[in-house]
Amino acid sequence: MEKSSDFMLYTRIQQKEKAALEQLYDRYEKILFSFLYKMTEDRDLAEEALQEVFIKLWRGKGEYDESKGKFTSWLFTMSRNSAIDLIRKQKKPSVPLDEIGDLVSPETAVEELAEWQEQKDQIQEAVSELSSEQQKMIQLFYFKGMTHETISTMCDIPLGTVKSRIRLALSKLKKTLHGVQERGAIDDEY
Amino acid sequence: MNTNCDHVVDYLNGTLTAEEKQAFEQHLATCADCRELVDAVGELPYLAEPAEPPVGMKSRILANVFEEEPQKQAEPERQVKKEKTVPMVKPKARRSSWAPLIAAVLLLSLLGNAYAFFKLADEQQPATESAFQSIELQPGEAFGGSAKAAIIQEEGSLEVVVQAEQLEQLQGDEVYQIWLLKEGQPVPAGAFTPDADQQGSAYYSMTENTEGWDTIAITREPEAGNETPEGEIVLSSEI
Repeated sequence: MEKSSDFMLYTRIQQKEKAALEQLYDRYEKILFSFLYKMTEDRDLAEEALQEVFIKLWRGKGEYDESKGKFTSWLFTMSRNSAIDLIRKQKKPSVPLDEIGDLVSPETAVEELAEWQEQKDQIQEAVSELSSEQQKMIQLFYFKGMTHETISTMCDIPLGTVKSRIRLALSKLKKTLHGVQERGAIDDEY
Repeated sequence: MNTNCDHVVDYLNGTLTAEEKQAFEQHLATCADCRELVDAVGELPYLAEPAEPPVGMKSRILANVFEEEPQKQAEPERQVKKEKTVPMVKPKARRSSWAPLIAAVLLLSLLGNAYAFFKLADEQQPATESAFQSIELQPGEAFGGSAKAAIIQEEGSLEVVVQAEQLEQLQGDEVYQIWLLKEGQPVPAGAFTPDADQQGSAYYSMTENTEGWDTIAITREPEAGNETPEGEIVLSSEI
């Protein structure tokens, strides 16, 4: 249901319906901003990246369809690429590996319950089943937007194997998430 | 596992070329494995801690989005397209110094389009709508010059930009004439003469017969305006 209504909004956006874009904005503002902030660690950059996303959505033509997976996957990929562009333009000096936060931040007692808590619990559980090296790969590749070269240098692994390690980590994530979701479905049944 | 599956990381990173991306998207439509992987990765953002958006962000963003209508960007390009050809340098006559400037401006505008295209290509722009190709032309025997061409294909239009350097000086009415060839049949696609720095450039736009060109060539023509080449080919490349 959620998916098809996203898709409907997207279709209306393509027809230049401003209200549809605003609706989509309201629906994803919080998660997108939080995600982009996690990536950029800079509120201004996160806003800039988010603006890029909506400008592209508004101008884009016929780019998303359901054969490309979920709408949110597509939206998040586009958002991530906007953030990476901005991160790379910044050319911040690279920080040592041990100063880069963990993929899953340590829980604090007063943590605000996210609107997306249910998804968060699931993905967090799936991630926790990965090896620490796989978690690191996802953190550096996905959230920090590091190039394969940087990852190779930082983690001291041959450049030629970075891509396959990332891919392996993502494949494993796919499996563990699948497992978590199945367990969830069984829990729901009983 | 299919070799296409290897592209999934590059796909997520937006580093595939337009063709590779299109191929991967076709693959994605039929490979449940890759789709599941893309969707699993699509859950990762939910790991983010909730961050409170800055005050007024929504109105700022929406104002900027709706302000930047695509027409505004496309306009200068359309004006150019109305002209069937833009002679960069009038053959013979006075070669005034502003001609290369116009070429530079047009090139910049086109590069802007190309840049916009690459930006768009970052997110799922189908290659069928717009394609940008950069070509290095190969010099023929005993020709010292070099040239690069950019071919931008959009629905219903084709634009060709050529930049050449270290050109041999011409004599009399001679021009460097650009041709597009389809199965050996040439059509003229702009001409130029070298400036004092032995550089030359040309911009050409066509709205008919935009598909299927397989070769680009530059000849040294005895005069401008020939419909078929008479001179020798000095630079060429497959498209």
